Amino acid sequence: MGDFGFKETFASITTDALLNALMVVILASLVIMLVQKLLPALAGKLGGKLRLYLLASVPLLRLLIIVLTIVTVVPILVEPSFENMVAIFGALGLALGFAFKDYANSLIAGIVTLYEMPYRPGDWIEVNGRYGEVRSIGTRAAEIVTLDDTVIVIPHSLLWNTLLANGNDGTDNLMCVAELHLDPNHNVARMQQLFRDVVFTCPLTKTYQPVIVTVSATDDAMRYRLKAYPLEPREQSRFISDLTARAADVCAREGVRMVSKRVTDAA
Amino acid sequence: MANDVVEDHPYLPGGLIALDQWKTPETSVQKTIRGAFRDILDQLRAGISPEEQAFQSLDDLPMLSGDRLKEFAPEPDAALLAQVLVDQFDLLHRDGACHREVNFVVAPPFSGVKEALRCLSRRVLTPPDNLLMTEQDAGAWWDEQLSGGDWVIPELADFWLRHPGGLNLLRELFARIALDHAGNGMVGCSSWCWQFWRQYSPELSLAPYTLAPLTGEQLTRWLDYLASGQGEQQVTARMTRDGLYVLPAPGQDSALKYSSFNQDLATLARGNRGVALAIWQRTLRARPEKDDEDSGKEVVRLAGRRCWVAPLDQISLPSVPASAGRQPSHILHALLLHDGLDTEQVALVTGLQKQDIALTLDRLIRSELVGRAPESDVYRVTPLGYSAVRKNLQARGYPVDGF
Repeated sequence: MGDFGFKETFASITTDALLNALMVVILASLVIMLVQKLLPALAGKLGGKLRLYLLASVPLLRLLIIVLTIVTVVPILVEPSFENMVAIFGALGLALGFAFKDYANSLIAGIVTLYEMPYRPGDWIEVNGRYGEVRSIGTRAAEIVTLDDTVIVIPHSLLWNTLLANGNDGTDNLMCVAELHLDPNHNVARMQQLFRDVVFTCPLTKTYQPVIVTVSATDDAMRYRLKAYPLEPREQSRFISDLTARAADVCAREGVRMVSKRVTDAA
Repeated sequence: MANDVVEDHPYLPGGLIALDQWKTPETSVQKTIRGAFRDILDQLRAGISPEEQAFQSLDDLPMLSGDRLKEFAPEPDAALLAQVLVDQFDLLHRDGACHREVNFVVAPPFSGVKEALRCLSRRVLTPPDNLLMTEQDAGAWWDEQLSGGDWVIPELADFWLRHPGGLNLLRELFARIALDHAGNGMVGCSSWCWQFWRQYSPELSLAPYTLAPLTGEQLTRWLDYLASGQGEQQVTARMTRDGLYVLPAPGQDSALKYSSFNQDLATLARGNRGVALAIWQRTLRARPEKDDEDSGKEVVRLAGRRCWVAPLDQISLPSVPASAGRQPSHILHALLLHDGLDTEQVALVTGLQKQDIALTLDRLIRSELVGRAPESDVYRVTPLGYSAVRKNLQARGYPVDGF
């Protein structure tokens, strides 16, 4: 019982078996690489939901290939008896538990991610104040690309104890908010109506999704929030800019002065 | 209003129906899946071979053209459709199903409603030169226009622009129609324009009617009626590949073997008669792949004129060019929303630069997706490219019509 039966289990491994197993692992790695390159490239050529479905299938396919590889490799190396399995998984458990605790934590969280899907490729998420589009979900970590085109690697283990905000949750509907601060003492109802027209006439607006214009009073300004959905989540910056520019035009035409946020805050 | 379908006419198969009763012609699951795969391949192909986007015939049989084409697939008679529409509305009013003073017809592009309404013996209202009006100016303009007796607006989409200043005319008109303060009128409205305004004003309820979608059987009757000179002369159309019959419309005791071509065409065109006719015109051929005499088959030869029809898989319809930006889609969407625009108006509603618009329009014209009206500078989506454009816009998240 001193060596947990490792010696007997691994004594039967031959060089040929090792080479065969290595071939299977290399083949699986190549297939995974192909999937990770090909599907996102295809998704890039397609639009809408199909793009999201294709992107979301990448981590699932990778998990499937990994599981199939393990199921194929283990019988090549050792006889899959109950004792051997206990020995192998016991050894794996020890190694992961002591030497690679954090890594194993992320791996398991990665599997949970695929099951619970708190984020998928194509989702716009915010974790610890970092906002971006999920570019890929790896075994240990996810990569997001921020609006400033910076890649941030987020270990899956953060999933256990961090608040995560998902803007579109697997769909292509992402609500955006353009915020404006206007000098008070103007016709609020008219400005609300005009801002609603602004949203509806913006060519990037999904008019079949809700369009909401809210207004609230701050100390020195009336704060308008134009809430609507862009045609594609990736166009959020352009969409918000477009709404803001069009709304600013309306303000200029109506003679209502815009107040910058900095001035408002300072006041 | 749930079952307001009035009696059938060969020129308007299925008659007028309430808008909420419209549905796409049914097709098999197998064909739907095949169509979905073809759409995906088309999207991918558009990115790989951008020069192959215009219409292509994949067989080498001579196409019908000129007078021969006009014989077998003539343009519909707008005056006759106008008369049928008036008759059907009269019936609806007599039955008490429709009791508004303004009759509203919403139809997808190329349905022929606009052309038909222009033929009515009523005062045709044309849009003002300046569509960017204030609320007050819009009110005064409608006061003037609606005060002179019965009127008709052939295409409501001509009366607005998707611009913050371009909404007032229609907003004012809708309010007047809703309160029955617009007199006796008839309005034709593009389904794309209607869809926008329904989303803009969810309370808008003008009880519009629409043309029933053409099923395969109705499409056969309609094409037969067109080709036969309203039933005066028998016309035979058969498939170039296997000789199966497409026209005439099958009788009750017909022994002829029929192709599923018209069913497939109705599905491809989503029941839209204008789109179906445009594709039909491109499938007509002067001769088959192999003559019956050559193949030694014994065939029943019907009297009258005869032409041949290429299978739908032997034609390649225009496809939307792949583009990194949104310019082509923006322009195509704007053209559909307004049933055609000139370049100034495209710039106004899309916010794009005129030079960029010119370059993109040129590309779209070469792809046969957009055409320019000969008598004006107005650009419109072509009936042949309409299906591809609609699918592309839908896939890219644009609001599309319900047809």
